[in-house]
Amino acid sequence: MFGRYPIPFKVEESGIRISVETSGTFSTYVRQTPTGRAEKKLGFADGDLLVNPVEPVHLPQEVTGMVEFHFLPIAIRPLSEIRVHLLFPVEIGVFSGTEDTYALVDVFSLARPKYSLYGTPERGVITRHIETEVYGDVPPTRPLHEGVFSLTINNTSRDWVWVSRAVFESSSLRIFWGTRVAMSGEMMVFSRQVGETWVNKMPPEDGMTEAVRVYPTRKSLIPEKPSYLMEYGVGD
Amino acid sequence: MVFESLSVPILGELTLLDLLVFGIAIIVVLVISRIVGVYLKKALSDRVDPTEREKLIKVIQAAIIIIGVYAAFPRFDINLADMVVVGGTIGLVVAFASQRIVSNLGSGLFLIAERPMKPGDNVNIGSFSGTVDQIRVLSTIIKTYEGVYVRVPNEKIFTSEITNYVANVARRFEYTIGISYRSDAEAALRIIRDLLSSHPFVLAHPAPSVFVDALSDSSVSIRVFIWAPSRVWWSVRTEMLWTIKTALEEAGIEIPYPQRVVTLAPGAKIEVSHVPGGEGPA
Repeated sequence: MFGRYPIPFKVEESGIRISVETSGTFSTYVRQTPTGRAEKKLGFADGDLLVNPVEPVHLPQEVTGMVEFHFLPIAIRPLSEIRVHLLFPVEIGVFSGTEDTYALVDVFSLARPKYSLYGTPERGVITRHIETEVYGDVPPTRPLHEGVFSLTINNTSRDWVWVSRAVFESSSLRIFWGTRVAMSGEMMVFSRQVGETWVNKMPPEDGMTEAVRVYPTRKSLIPEKPSYLMEYGVGD
Repeated sequence: MVFESLSVPILGELTLLDLLVFGIAIIVVLVISRIVGVYLKKALSDRVDPTEREKLIKVIQAAIIIIGVYAAFPRFDINLADMVVVGGTIGLVVAFASQRIVSNLGSGLFLIAERPMKPGDNVNIGSFSGTVDQIRVLSTIIKTYEGVYVRVPNEKIFTSEITNYVANVARRFEYTIGISYRSDAEAALRIIRDLLSSHPFVLAHPAPSVFVDALSDSSVSIRVFIWAPSRVWWSVRTEMLWTIKTALEEAGIEIPYPQRVVTLAPGAKIEVSHVPGGEGPA
């Protein structure tokens, strides 16, 4: 389903139906999923729409810019590094426009969103909560439902550390799609309490396409934060 | 030669050099006030309403310029003692006339620095509840939940208790739900937990808490504690209460009216009569 579609079009897959029908100088966008329906009028009747995975922080409404992976604790040896694979729910964005002038038309998902708090109510952050299994190898996925986040955890401390959460800035997320949806990132663990995370800007494997992100379309004056300092613990 | 020509008095004891130094001092002061203005604009950009920020910056810039001009005055051989007397008298009059304004200004500056609230926050200040519309230098504008415009002097705000309902990113709220003694409390707890876990904005951490809190006169009281993002907590609170009520009723769990069991002594008689137009026995 991911890709660029010239108007008018109709596409259907995994219970998702997207159609754009033209009528004179405008067109009507209709999206139907098992969880809901959206209909919008577009003030143009030519060009194309782009459908691709976006940062999973927009549904049911945007309340945060942080994503938190939560998983069964992993014991990491002192001064060691491991690579694990996590699953994340895919949110699908529909864009109009080209290159620098993309505008978001619609966001939807087949996954059920959940939110959480990382840190304290006074100083912490609301996060999109992603409860996931931990995989040693890339697990099979359904691209319209979930993607794979390949996380490299580097324990730079001289103690054993149990890691069960990784928090990322959504403005820095880079999602790639091809036969699957994927992201990759790194986590530097300094102690049980403090770690730093960032997302890689390169695709996890060759042949993948970088997804258009929602964040740049906002033209926000707040710059992207390349990394996030986890100050409230890397474990439960 | 040039210095000598600059030192020639042109008006009384005023020389060209005096005018030159004064001019340079004014230019320096203007540059400094401009730099301070730019710095303040950056520092206060997300703290103060843009209109008020501009006013505040202008006041500070004016103060810098006045101080600079005052500092350059000795070059004109102006009698400072006379100025102090005149200025002091004027200052005293102005101070008495504007002490409330100065008090409000000071309070406003402290509010901007301390930041107990910001535009958009839901607050309770004294007898006013509503959303902060603007934080001005002298006053704060509150838009009450009824949509009424209220201007509160900053001095009053500074000395009042401020309850900011959304200062923290998450907040907790609670329900007490009574179910009948005949209903299955375990099932009720399970239904409520499932509903909470499926709602996106009922936070996973801190986890919601659901438990039997009291065996009350008319019902088994179930307490529900929920954490939600502050930005959406009110809609979550109103939505979840009705969702829980509906789900419990659909599962056949009764939410009873207050009731009392009356035991009659042996041999006692009770007379029941029907009230015309009433729905049951009196």
